[in-house]
Amino acid sequence: MSNGAAHADASTAQAAVVHDFLKSASRRFFNGFVGLATLFVLWWIGGYALSANPATESFSDFGPIPTFKAIPALWEAGKIQSAVVASGYRLGMGLLIAFAIGVPLGILMGRSKRFRELSNSPFQLLRMVSPLSWMPLAVLIFVASWDQSIIFLITIAAVWPIAFATAAGLAKVDPAWFKVARNLGAKPWHMVFNITIPAIAFDISTGTRLALGIAWVVLVPAELLGVTSGLGYAIKDARETLAYSDLTAIVLVIGVIGWFLDSLVAMLVKRFNWHKGGE
Amino acid sequence: MNGVAETMRMGELRISRALRSSGRELGNFLGGLLILFVLWYLGVEFIASNPDKASFADFGPIPAFKAFPWLWEDGILQSAITASGYRLGVGLLIAIAIGVPIGIIMGLSKRFREFSNAPFQLLRMVSPLSWEPIAVLSFGLAGATVIFLIAIAAVWPIIFATAAGLAKVDPAWFKVARNLGASRWHMLTQIIIPAIAYDVLTGIRLALGVAWIVLVPAEFLGVSEGLGYAVQDAKESLSYDSLMAMILIIGAIGYLLDSACVLALKRYSWHKG
Repeated sequence: MSNGAAHADASTAQAAVVHDFLKSASRRFFNGFVGLATLFVLWWIGGYALSANPATESFSDFGPIPTFKAIPALWEAGKIQSAVVASGYRLGMGLLIAFAIGVPLGILMGRSKRFRELSNSPFQLLRMVSPLSWMPLAVLIFVASWDQSIIFLITIAAVWPIAFATAAGLAKVDPAWFKVARNLGAKPWHMVFNITIPAIAFDISTGTRLALGIAWVVLVPAELLGVTSGLGYAIKDARETLAYSDLTAIVLVIGVIGWFLDSLVAMLVKRFNWHKGGE
Repeated sequence: MNGVAETMRMGELRISRALRSSGRELGNFLGGLLILFVLWYLGVEFIASNPDKASFADFGPIPAFKAFPWLWEDGILQSAITASGYRLGVGLLIAIAIGVPIGIIMGLSKRFREFSNAPFQLLRMVSPLSWEPIAVLSFGLAGATVIFLIAIAAVWPIIFATAAGLAKVDPAWFKVARNLGASRWHMLTQIIIPAIAYDVLTGIRLALGVAWIVLVPAEFLGVSEGLGYAVQDAKESLSYDSLMAMILIIGAIGYLLDSACVLALKRYSWHKG
Protein backbone atom coordinates (compact mmCIF):
# COMPACT_ATOMS: atom_id res chain seq x y z
CA MET A 1 0.00 0.00 0.00
CA SER A 2 1.37 3.38 -0.92
CA ASN A 3 1.90 6.12 1.59
CA GLY A 4 -0.82 8.24 0.04
CA ALA A 5 -3.46 5.51 0.30
CA ALA A 6 -2.57 4.87 3.96
CA HIS A 7 -2.90 8.55 4.61
CA ALA A 8 -6.30 8.68 2.90
CA ASP A 9 -7.37 5.60 4.88
CA ALA A 10 -6.36 7.23 8.13
CA SER A 11 -8.20 10.42 7.30
CA THR A 12 -11.43 8.60 6.35
CA ALA A 13 -11.15 6.59 9.55
CA GLN A 14 -10.70 9.81 11.45
CA ALA A 15 -13.69 11.37 9.72
CA ALA A 16 -15.75 8.32 10.64
CA VAL A 17 -14.67 8.63 14.28
CA VAL A 18 -15.57 12.31 14.34
CA HIS A 19 -18.87 11.56 12.65
CA ASP A 20 -19.68 8.80 15.14
CA PHE A 21 -18.72 11.03 18.00
CA LEU A 22 -20.95 13.84 16.73
CA LYS A 23 -23.81 11.45 16.19
CA SER A 24 -23.53 9.95 19.65
CA ALA A 25 -23.13 13.42 21.18
CA SER A 26 -26.22 14.75 19.41
CA ARG A 27 -28.11 11.61 20.39
CA ARG A 28 -27.06 12.11 24.00
CA PHE A 29 -28.01 15.77 23.84
CA PHE A 30 -31.40 14.92 22.37
CA ASN A 31 -32.07 12.24 24.99
CA GLY A 32 -31.08 14.57 27.80
CA PHE A 33 -33.31 17.26 26.39
CA VAL A 34 -36.32 14.93 26.10
CA GLY A 35 -35.68 13.56 29.59
CA LEU A 36 -35.57 17.02 31.13
CA ALA A 37 -38.64 18.08 29.13
CA THR A 38 -40.51 15.07 30.54
CA LEU A 39 -39.47 16.06 34.05
CA PHE A 40 -40.71 19.60 33.54
CA VAL A 41 -44.01 18.43 32.07
CA LEU A 42 -44.58 16.17 35.10
CA TRP A 43 -43.67 19.06 37.35
CA TRP A 44 -46.07 21.33 35.45
CA ILE A 45 -48.89 18.80 35.84
CA GLY A 46 -48.16 18.64 39.56
CA GLY A 47 -48.22 22.44 39.80
CA TYR A 48 -51.44 22.56 37.81
CA ALA A 49 -53.04 20.01 40.14
CA LEU A 50 -52.05 22.20 43.09
CA SER A 51 -53.54 25.33 41.57
CA ALA A 52 -56.73 23.57 40.43
CA ASN A 53 -57.59 22.49 43.96
CA PRO A 54 -58.84 25.47 46.04
CA ALA A 55 -57.36 23.93 49.20
CA THR A 56 -53.83 23.96 47.76
CA GLU A 57 -54.12 26.95 45.48
CA SER A 58 -51.69 28.99 47.57
CA PHE A 59 -48.98 26.47 46.71
CA SER A 60 -49.35 26.90 42.95
CA ASP A 61 -46.10 28.90 43.00
CA PHE A 62 -44.30 25.56 43.32
CA GLY A 63 -44.98 24.97 39.62
CA PRO A 64 -42.29 25.35 36.97
CA ILE A 65 -43.59 28.57 35.39
CA PRO A 66 -43.52 30.69 38.58
CA THR A 67 -40.14 29.10 39.31
CA PHE A 68 -38.63 30.13 36.00
CA LYS A 69 -40.10 33.59 36.43
CA ALA A 70 -38.45 33.82 39.85
CA ILE A 71 -34.95 33.08 38.56
CA PRO A 72 -34.36 36.40 36.72
CA ALA A 73 -35.61 38.35 39.73
CA LEU A 74 -33.35 36.39 42.07
CA TRP A 75 -30.45 36.94 39.70
CA GLU A 76 -31.01 40.69 39.43
CA ALA A 77 -31.26 40.99 43.19
CA GLY A 78 -27.88 39.23 43.32
CA LYS A 79 -29.25 36.51 45.56
CA ILE A 80 -28.22 33.57 43.38
CA GLN A 81 -24.72 34.91 42.84
CA SER A 82 -24.03 35.66 46.49
CA ALA A 83 -25.45 32.29 47.61
CA VAL A 84 -23.36 30.43 45.04
CA VAL A 85 -20.20 32.34 45.95
CA ALA A 86 -20.65 31.80 49.70
CA SER A 87 -21.48 28.10 49.36
CA GLY A 88 -18.82 27.58 46.71
CA TYR A 89 -16.15 29.02 48.99
CA ARG A 90 -17.17 26.75 51.88
CA LEU A 91 -17.42 23.70 49.65
CA GLY A 92 -14.07 24.39 47.99
CA MET A 93 -12.21 25.03 51.23
CA GLY A 94 -13.79 22.01 52.90
CA LEU A 95 -12.89 19.71 50.03
CA LEU A 96 -9.38 21.13 49.80
CA ILE A 97 -8.72 20.48 53.48
CA ALA A 98 -10.29 17.03 53.19
CA PHE A 99 -7.90 16.38 50.31
CA ALA A 100 -4.86 17.67 52.20
CA ILE A 101 -5.68 15.37 55.12
CA GLY A 102 -7.27 12.44 53.30
CA VAL A 103 -4.61 11.70 50.68
CA PRO A 104 -1.66 11.46 53.11
CA LEU A 105 -3.83 9.43 55.50
CA GLY A 106 -4.76 7.11 52.66
CA ILE A 107 -1.13 6.75 51.58
CA LEU A 108 -0.20 5.90 55.16
CA MET A 109 -2.99 3.31 55.26
CA GLY A 110 -1.89 1.87 51.94
CA ARG A 111 1.79 1.66 52.83
CA SER A 112 1.74 0.50 56.46
CA LYS A 113 -0.15 -2.66 57.30
CA ARG A 114 0.17 -1.92 61.02
CA PHE A 115 -1.42 1.52 60.62
CA ARG A 116 -4.16 0.14 58.38
CA GLU A 117 -5.09 -2.54 60.89
CA LEU A 118 -5.03 -0.30 63.92
CA SER A 119 -6.79 2.63 62.27
CA ASN A 120 -9.65 0.56 60.90
CA SER A 121 -11.95 0.52 63.92
CA PRO A 122 -11.49 4.17 65.01
CA PHE A 123 -11.81 5.40 61.41
CA GLN A 124 -14.94 3.34 60.79
CA LEU A 125 -16.45 4.64 64.01
CA LEU A 126 -15.62 8.26 63.16
CA ARG A 127 -16.74 7.81 59.56
CA MET A 128 -20.16 6.62 60.67
CA VAL A 129 -20.71 9.56 63.01
CA SER A 130 -23.30 11.47 61.03
CA PRO A 131 -21.39 14.68 60.13
CA LEU A 132 -24.09 17.06 61.30
CA SER A 133 -23.83 15.63 64.83
CA TRP A 134 -20.49 17.45 65.04
CA MET A 135 -22.36 20.71 64.48
CA PRO A 136 -22.77 21.72 68.15
CA LEU A 137 -19.13 20.88 68.79
CA ALA A 138 -17.98 22.78 65.69
CA VAL A 139 -19.94 25.84 66.73
CA LEU A 140 -18.28 25.79 70.16
CA ILE A 141 -14.79 25.27 68.75
CA PHE A 142 -15.03 27.89 66.02
CA VAL A 143 -16.94 30.34 68.16
CA ALA A 144 -16.16 33.32 66.01
CA SER A 145 -16.94 31.96 62.62
CA TRP A 146 -19.89 30.13 61.10
CA ASP A 147 -17.87 29.82 57.92
CA GLN A 148 -15.23 27.81 59.73
CA SER A 149 -17.78 25.51 61.38
CA ILE A 150 -19.37 24.74 58.02
CA ILE A 151 -15.97 24.14 56.42
CA PHE A 152 -15.15 21.84 59.32
CA LEU A 153 -18.36 19.85 58.78
CA ILE A 154 -17.69 19.50 55.05
CA THR A 155 -14.12 18.43 55.73
CA ILE A 156 -15.04 15.82 58.31
CA ALA A 157 -17.68 14.39 55.95
CA ALA A 158 -15.48 14.40 52.84
CA VAL A 159 -12.20 13.18 54.28
CA TRP A 160 -13.25 9.49 54.63
CA PRO A 161 -14.06 8.65 51.02
CA ILE A 162 -10.82 10.33 49.93
CA ALA A 163 -8.71 8.50 52.52
CA PHE A 164 -10.25 5.07 51.81
CA ALA A 165 -10.11 5.51 48.03
CA THR A 166 -6.44 6.51 48.19
CA ALA A 167 -5.64 3.46 50.31
CA ALA A 168 -7.60 1.18 47.95
CA GLY A 169 -5.75 2.68 44.98
CA LEU A 170 -2.37 2.05 46.56
CA ALA A 171 -3.33 -1.53 47.36
CA LYS A 172 -3.74 -2.14 43.62
CA VAL A 173 -0.25 -0.87 42.74
CA ASP A 174 1.82 -3.84 41.64
CA PRO A 175 5.07 -3.97 43.67
CA ALA A 176 6.80 -5.27 40.54
CA TRP A 177 6.45 -1.83 38.96
CA PHE A 178 8.74 -0.37 41.58
CA LYS A 179 11.29 -3.12 40.96
CA VAL A 180 11.20 -2.53 37.23
CA ALA A 181 11.50 1.22 37.76
CA ARG A 182 14.46 0.73 40.08
CA ASN A 183 16.12 -1.50 37.52
CA LEU A 184 15.62 1.22 34.94
CA GLY A 185 17.32 3.64 37.29
CA ALA A 186 14.30 5.58 38.61
CA LYS A 187 14.91 7.95 41.51
CA PRO A 188 12.54 8.06 44.52
CA TRP A 189 10.71 11.10 43.11
CA HIS A 190 10.30 9.28 39.82
CA MET A 191 8.60 6.52 41.75
CA VAL A 192 6.21 9.04 43.27
CA PHE A 193 5.49 11.10 40.16
CA ASN A 194 5.67 8.46 37.47
CA ILE A 195 4.25 5.42 39.24
CA THR A 196 2.36 6.09 42.45
CA ILE A 197 0.48 9.24 41.45
CA PRO A 198 -0.65 8.11 37.97
CA ALA A 199 -1.60 4.74 39.44
CA ILE A 200 -3.77 6.13 42.22
CA ALA A 201 -5.13 9.17 40.34
CA PHE A 202 -8.12 7.14 39.20
CA ASP A 203 -9.03 5.97 42.69
CA ILE A 204 -8.47 9.41 44.17
CA SER A 205 -10.78 10.93 41.58
CA THR A 206 -13.41 8.26 42.36
CA GLY A 207 -13.00 9.14 46.03
CA THR A 208 -13.31 12.82 45.18
CA ARG A 209 -16.58 12.15 43.39
CA LEU A 210 -17.99 10.37 46.45
CA ALA A 211 -16.62 13.11 48.71
CA LEU A 212 -18.24 15.80 46.58
CA GLY A 213 -21.58 14.00 46.75
CA ILE A 214 -21.42 13.79 50.54
CA ALA A 215 -20.16 17.36 50.93
CA TRP A 216 -23.08 18.52 48.79
CA VAL A 217 -25.50 16.66 51.08
CA VAL A 218 -23.90 18.18 54.18
CA LEU A 219 -23.60 21.73 52.86
CA VAL A 220 -27.30 22.61 52.76
CA PRO A 221 -28.30 21.51 56.29
CA ALA A 222 -25.10 23.08 57.67
CA GLU A 223 -26.24 26.36 56.14
CA LEU A 224 -29.79 26.01 57.43
CA LEU A 225 -28.53 26.71 60.93
CA GLY A 226 -27.14 30.07 61.86
CA VAL A 227 -25.49 31.55 58.77
CA THR A 228 -27.01 34.30 56.66
CA SER A 229 -25.51 33.41 53.30
CA GLY A 230 -25.27 30.43 51.01
CA LEU A 231 -27.65 28.07 49.25
CA GLY A 232 -28.98 26.50 52.46
CA TYR A 233 -29.73 29.93 53.87
CA ALA A 234 -31.45 30.95 50.62
CA ILE A 235 -33.80 27.98 51.04
CA LYS A 236 -34.56 28.84 54.62
CA ASP A 237 -35.06 32.48 53.71
CA ALA A 238 -37.47 31.65 50.88
CA ARG A 239 -39.40 29.34 53.17
CA GLU A 240 -39.70 31.91 55.92
CA THR A 241 -40.87 34.63 53.55
CA LEU A 242 -43.30 32.12 51.99
CA ALA A 243 -41.74 32.84 48.58
CA TYR A 244 -42.47 29.38 47.17
CA SER A 245 -41.34 30.18 43.65
CA ASP A 246 -37.97 31.36 45.04
CA LEU A 247 -37.79 28.13 47.03
CA THR A 248 -38.18 25.87 44.00
CA ALA A 249 -35.86 28.15 42.01
CA ILE A 250 -33.10 27.62 44.59
CA VAL A 251 -33.79 23.87 44.68
CA LEU A 252 -33.37 23.85 40.89
CA VAL A 253 -30.14 25.87 41.12
CA ILE A 254 -28.79 23.44 43.72
CA GLY A 255 -29.60 20.49 41.46
CA VAL A 256 -28.04 22.10 38.39
CA ILE A 257 -24.82 23.12 40.15
CA GLY A 258 -24.52 19.73 41.81
CA TRP A 259 -25.02 18.01 38.47
CA PHE A 260 -22.40 20.26 36.85
CA LEU A 261 -19.83 19.60 39.58
CA ASP A 262 -20.52 15.87 39.53
CA SER A 263 -20.11 15.73 35.73
CA LEU A 264 -16.84 17.62 36.05
CA VAL A 265 -15.43 15.07 38.49
CA ALA A 266 -16.88 12.21 36.42
CA MET A 267 -14.85 13.53 33.47
CA LEU A 268 -11.73 13.50 35.64
CA VAL A 269 -12.49 9.91 36.65
CA LYS A 270 -12.72 8.95 32.97
CA ARG A 271 -9.53 10.82 32.17
CA PHE A 272 -7.56 9.00 34.86
CA ASN A 273 -9.02 5.59 34.16
CA TRP A 274 -6.20 3.28 33.08
CA HIS A 275 -7.78 0.03 34.24
CA LYS A 276 -9.66 -0.49 31.00
CA GLY A 277 -7.06 1.17 28.83
CA GLY A 278 -8.76 4.55 29.10
CA GLU A 279 -11.10 5.93 26.53
CA MET B 1 -6.37 -44.41 59.56
CA ASN B 2 -3.46 -42.28 58.64
CA GLY B 3 -5.64 -40.24 56.29
CA VAL B 4 -8.19 -39.49 59.01
CA ALA B 5 -5.48 -38.36 61.42
CA GLU B 6 -4.02 -36.19 58.69
CA THR B 7 -7.39 -34.59 57.97
CA MET B 8 -7.99 -33.97 61.65
CA ARG B 9 -4.60 -32.37 62.06
CA MET B 10 -5.27 -30.17 59.04
CA GLY B 11 -8.62 -29.19 60.53
CA GLU B 12 -7.03 -28.30 63.84
CA LEU B 13 -4.40 -26.27 62.06
CA ARG B 14 -7.03 -24.37 60.15
CA ILE B 15 -9.07 -23.70 63.29
CA SER B 16 -6.05 -22.49 65.20
CA ARG B 17 -5.10 -20.24 62.29
CA ALA B 18 -8.66 -18.87 62.12
CA LEU B 19 -8.65 -18.28 65.86
CA ARG B 20 -5.28 -16.59 65.70
CA SER B 21 -6.34 -14.32 62.85
CA SER B 22 -9.64 -13.41 64.52
CA GLY B 23 -7.73 -12.89 67.78
CA ARG B 24 -5.41 -10.57 65.91
CA GLU B 25 -8.42 -8.78 64.42
CA LEU B 26 -9.98 -8.36 67.84
CA GLY B 27 -6.68 -7.06 69.19
CA ASN B 28 -6.45 -4.51 66.39
CA PHE B 29 -10.10 -3.54 66.84
CA LEU B 30 -9.73 -2.90 70.57
CA GLY B 31 -6.23 -1.41 70.23
CA GLY B 32 -7.44 1.07 67.61
CA LEU B 33 -10.42 2.15 69.68
CA LEU B 34 -8.21 2.45 72.77
CA ILE B 35 -5.84 4.77 70.89
CA LEU B 36 -8.81 6.86 69.77
CA PHE B 37 -10.08 7.22 73.34
CA VAL B 38 -6.61 8.04 74.69
CA LEU B 39 -6.18 10.75 72.03
CA TRP B 40 -9.65 12.06 72.82
CA TYR B 41 -8.83 12.13 76.54
CA LEU B 42 -5.49 13.87 76.02
CA GLY B 43 -6.97 16.40 73.60
CA VAL B 44 -9.71 17.42 76.00
CA GLU B 45 -7.30 17.48 78.96
CA PHE B 46 -5.01 19.75 76.99
CA ILE B 47 -7.80 22.18 76.10
CA ALA B 48 -9.33 22.13 79.58
CA SER B 49 -5.92 22.80 81.20
CA ASN B 50 -6.38 26.37 79.99
CA PRO B 51 -8.37 27.93 82.89
CA ASP B 52 -10.51 29.95 80.42
CA LYS B 53 -11.71 26.73 78.88
CA ALA B 54 -12.07 24.58 82.00
CA SER B 55 -15.74 24.02 81.13
CA PHE B 56 -14.61 21.99 78.13
CA ALA B 57 -13.60 19.15 80.48
CA ASP B 58 -17.11 17.73 80.03
CA PHE B 59 -16.25 16.91 76.43
CA GLY B 60 -13.85 14.18 77.54
CA PRO B 61 -14.46 10.46 77.22
CA ILE B 62 -14.93 9.84 80.95
CA PRO B 63 -17.89 12.24 81.39
CA ALA B 64 -19.35 10.83 78.16
CA PHE B 65 -19.19 7.27 79.49
CA LYS B 66 -20.63 8.42 82.81
CA ALA B 67 -23.55 9.97 80.92
CA PHE B 68 -24.60 6.63 79.42
CA PRO B 69 -26.20 5.09 82.54
CA TRP B 70 -28.50 8.03 83.18
CA LEU B 71 -29.31 8.52 79.51
CA TRP B 72 -30.38 4.91 79.55
CA GLU B 73 -32.32 5.12 82.81
CA ASP B 74 -34.18 8.21 81.65
CA GLY B 75 -35.11 6.29 78.52
CA ILE B 76 -33.63 9.03 76.30
CA LEU B 77 -31.30 6.64 74.56
CA GLN B 78 -33.94 3.98 73.90
CA SER B 79 -36.56 6.39 72.61
CA ALA B 80 -34.02 8.18 70.39
CA ILE B 81 -32.82 4.90 68.89
CA THR B 82 -36.35 3.54 68.41
CA ALA B 83 -37.62 6.72 66.76
CA SER B 84 -34.60 7.14 64.48
CA GLY B 85 -34.45 3.43 63.72
CA TYR B 86 -38.10 3.42 62.67
CA ARG B 87 -37.61 6.44 60.35
CA LEU B 88 -34.42 5.04 58.89
CA GLY B 89 -35.98 1.62 58.35
CA VAL B 90 -39.15 2.89 56.72
CA GLY B 91 -37.23 5.43 54.62
CA LEU B 92 -34.82 2.77 53.36
CA LEU B 93 -37.65 0.31 52.68
CA ILE B 94 -39.48 2.89 50.58
CA ALA B 95 -36.22 3.70 48.77
CA ILE B 96 -35.70 -0.02 48.02
CA ALA B 97 -39.32 -0.52 46.95
CA ILE B 98 -39.01 2.37 44.48
CA GLY B 99 -35.34 2.10 43.59
CA VAL B 100 -35.01 -1.57 42.68
CA PRO B 101 -37.86 -1.63 40.11
CA ILE B 102 -36.65 1.64 38.54
CA GLY B 103 -33.13 0.23 38.43
CA ILE B 104 -34.39 -2.94 36.75
CA ILE B 105 -36.24 -0.90 34.13
CA MET B 106 -33.09 1.17 33.56
CA GLY B 107 -31.03 -1.98 33.20
CA LEU B 108 -33.44 -3.65 30.77
CA SER B 109 -34.55 -0.74 28.60
CA LYS B 110 -31.87 1.25 26.83
CA ARG B 111 -34.46 3.84 25.81
CA PHE B 112 -35.55 4.46 29.41
CA ARG B 113 -31.92 4.59 30.57
CA GLU B 114 -31.02 7.25 28.03
CA PHE B 115 -34.07 9.41 28.66
CA SER B 116 -33.96 9.15 32.42
CA ASN B 117 -30.27 9.96 32.75
CA ALA B 118 -30.53 13.78 32.66
CA PRO B 119 -33.56 14.20 34.95
CA PHE B 120 -32.27 11.58 37.40
CA GLN B 121 -28.83 13.17 37.59
CA LEU B 122 -30.43 16.55 38.19
CA LEU B 123 -32.73 15.23 40.93
CA ARG B 124 -29.95 13.15 42.48
CA MET B 125 -27.74 16.20 42.89
CA VAL B 126 -30.43 18.22 44.64
CA SER B 127 -29.08 18.18 48.17
CA PRO B 128 -31.75 16.15 50.04
CA LEU B 129 -32.26 18.64 52.83
CA SER B 130 -33.31 21.30 50.31
CA TRP B 131 -36.54 19.34 49.89
CA GLU B 132 -37.25 19.88 53.57
CA PRO B 133 -39.54 22.95 53.31
CA ILE B 134 -41.51 21.37 50.46
CA ALA B 135 -41.76 18.09 52.38
CA VAL B 136 -43.01 19.84 55.52
CA LEU B 137 -45.71 21.59 53.50
CA SER B 138 -46.70 18.37 51.73
CA PHE B 139 -46.77 16.06 54.72
CA GLY B 140 -47.45 18.36 57.61
CA LEU B 141 -46.13 15.72 59.99
CA ALA B 142 -42.51 16.11 60.99
CA GLY B 143 -41.94 12.35 61.27
CA ALA B 144 -43.20 11.74 57.73
CA THR B 145 -40.93 14.54 56.50
CA VAL B 146 -37.87 12.80 57.94
CA ILE B 147 -38.89 9.53 56.27
CA PHE B 148 -39.42 11.33 52.94
CA LEU B 149 -35.99 12.99 53.15
CA ILE B 150 -34.31 9.67 53.88
CA ALA B 151 -36.15 7.96 51.03
CA ILE B 152 -35.31 10.67 48.49
CA ALA B 153 -31.65 10.62 49.53
CA ALA B 154 -31.36 6.83 49.57
CA VAL B 155 -33.23 5.98 46.37
CA TRP B 156 -30.49 7.09 43.92
CA PRO B 157 -27.64 4.80 44.97
CA ILE B 158 -30.10 1.88 44.94
CA ILE B 159 -31.39 2.74 41.45
CA PHE B 160 -27.93 3.16 39.93
CA ALA B 161 -26.47 0.10 41.65
CA THR B 162 -29.39 -2.08 40.51
CA ALA B 163 -29.01 -0.86 36.93
CA ALA B 164 -25.25 -1.45 37.04
CA GLY B 165 -25.84 -4.95 38.39
CA LEU B 166 -28.23 -5.79 35.55
CA ALA B 167 -25.75 -4.46 33.00
CA LYS B 168 -23.35 -7.17 34.17
CA VAL B 169 -25.86 -9.98 33.64
CA ASP B 170 -24.74 -12.06 30.68
CA PRO B 171 -27.55 -12.13 28.05
CA ALA B 172 -26.56 -15.73 27.32
CA TRP B 173 -28.00 -16.75 30.69
CA PHE B 174 -31.45 -15.69 29.54
CA LYS B 175 -31.05 -17.68 26.33
CA VAL B 176 -29.97 -20.75 28.24
CA ALA B 177 -32.84 -20.34 30.69
CA ARG B 178 -35.33 -19.94 27.85
CA ASN B 179 -33.97 -23.06 26.20
CA LEU B 180 -34.46 -24.92 29.44
CA GLY B 181 -38.08 -23.76 29.52
CA ALA B 182 -37.89 -21.04 32.16
CA SER B 183 -40.91 -18.77 32.50
CA ARG B 184 -40.61 -14.98 32.92
CA TRP B 185 -41.14 -15.50 36.64
CA HIS B 186 -38.24 -17.96 36.72
CA MET B 187 -36.06 -15.49 34.90
CA LEU B 188 -36.77 -12.92 37.59
CA THR B 189 -36.39 -15.16 40.64
CA GLN B 190 -33.70 -17.53 39.36
CA ILE B 191 -31.50 -15.22 37.28
CA ILE B 192 -32.09 -11.52 37.77
CA ILE B 193 -32.48 -11.41 41.54
CA PRO B 194 -29.54 -13.68 42.45
CA ALA B 195 -27.37 -11.94 39.86
CA ILE B 196 -28.08 -8.43 41.05
CA ALA B 197 -28.33 -9.19 44.79
CA TYR B 198 -24.71 -8.23 45.27
CA ASP B 199 -25.00 -4.92 43.44
CA VAL B 200 -28.31 -4.06 45.10
CA LEU B 201 -26.65 -4.66 48.46
CA THR B 202 -23.74 -2.42 47.46
CA GLY B 203 -26.34 0.20 46.62
CA ILE B 204 -28.09 -0.34 49.94
CA ARG B 205 -24.80 0.11 51.76
CA LEU B 206 -24.20 3.43 49.98
CA ALA B 207 -27.83 4.39 50.59
CA LEU B 208 -27.47 3.62 54.27
CA GLY B 209 -24.42 5.89 54.45
CA VAL B 210 -26.30 8.78 52.83
CA ALA B 211 -29.45 8.12 54.87
CA TRP B 212 -27.38 8.19 58.04
CA ILE B 213 -25.98 11.60 57.05
CA VAL B 214 -29.45 12.95 56.26
CA LEU B 215 -31.15 11.50 59.35
CA VAL B 216 -29.48 13.72 61.94
CA PRO B 217 -30.05 17.16 60.35
CA ALA B 218 -33.57 16.10 59.35
CA GLU B 219 -34.26 15.44 63.02
CA PHE B 220 -32.90 18.84 64.04
CA LEU B 221 -36.06 20.39 62.67
CA GLY B 222 -39.52 19.91 64.04
CA VAL B 223 -39.39 16.49 65.71
CA SER B 224 -39.12 15.90 69.44
CA GLU B 225 -37.40 12.53 69.55
CA GLY B 226 -34.67 10.72 67.69
CA LEU B 227 -30.88 10.86 67.57
CA GLY B 228 -30.74 14.25 65.84
CA TYR B 229 -33.16 15.70 68.35
CA ALA B 230 -31.10 14.26 71.22
CA VAL B 231 -27.95 15.98 69.85
CA GLN B 232 -29.85 19.24 69.50
CA ASP B 233 -31.36 18.87 72.96
CA ALA B 234 -27.99 18.13 74.59
CA LYS B 235 -26.54 21.21 72.92
CA GLU B 236 -29.36 23.48 74.03
CA SER B 237 -29.27 22.24 77.61
CA LEU B 238 -25.46 22.66 77.54
CA SER B 239 -24.97 19.08 78.74
CA TYR B 240 -21.80 18.42 76.81
CA ASP B 241 -21.27 15.00 78.35
CA SER B 242 -24.53 13.69 76.91
CA LEU B 243 -23.71 15.44 73.60
CA MET B 244 -20.49 13.43 73.34
CA ALA B 245 -22.33 10.29 74.46
CA MET B 246 -24.87 10.79 71.66
CA ILE B 247 -22.11 11.36 69.08
CA LEU B 248 -20.47 8.15 70.25
CA ILE B 249 -23.76 6.23 70.03
CA ILE B 250 -24.45 7.59 66.54
CA GLY B 251 -20.99 6.48 65.42
CA ALA B 252 -21.33 3.06 67.06
CA ILE B 253 -24.78 2.32 65.59
CA GLY B 254 -23.65 3.54 62.16
CA TYR B 255 -20.58 1.31 62.38
CA LEU B 256 -22.77 -1.66 63.37
CA LEU B 257 -25.23 -1.11 60.50
CA ASP B 258 -22.43 -0.63 57.98
CA SER B 259 -20.66 -3.79 59.18
CA ALA B 260 -23.94 -5.72 58.84
CA CYS B 261 -24.11 -4.57 55.20
CA VAL B 262 -20.50 -5.61 54.65
CA LEU B 263 -21.24 -9.07 56.06
CA ALA B 264 -24.29 -9.42 53.81
CA LEU B 265 -22.16 -8.29 50.84
CA LYS B 266 -19.62 -11.00 51.57
CA ARG B 267 -22.41 -13.52 51.68
CA TYR B 268 -23.83 -12.53 48.28
CA SER B 269 -20.58 -11.99 46.45
CA TRP B 270 -20.43 -14.41 43.52
CA HIS B 271 -18.03 -12.40 41.39
CA LYS B 272 -14.97 -13.83 43.06
CA GLY B 273 -16.53 -17.17 43.82
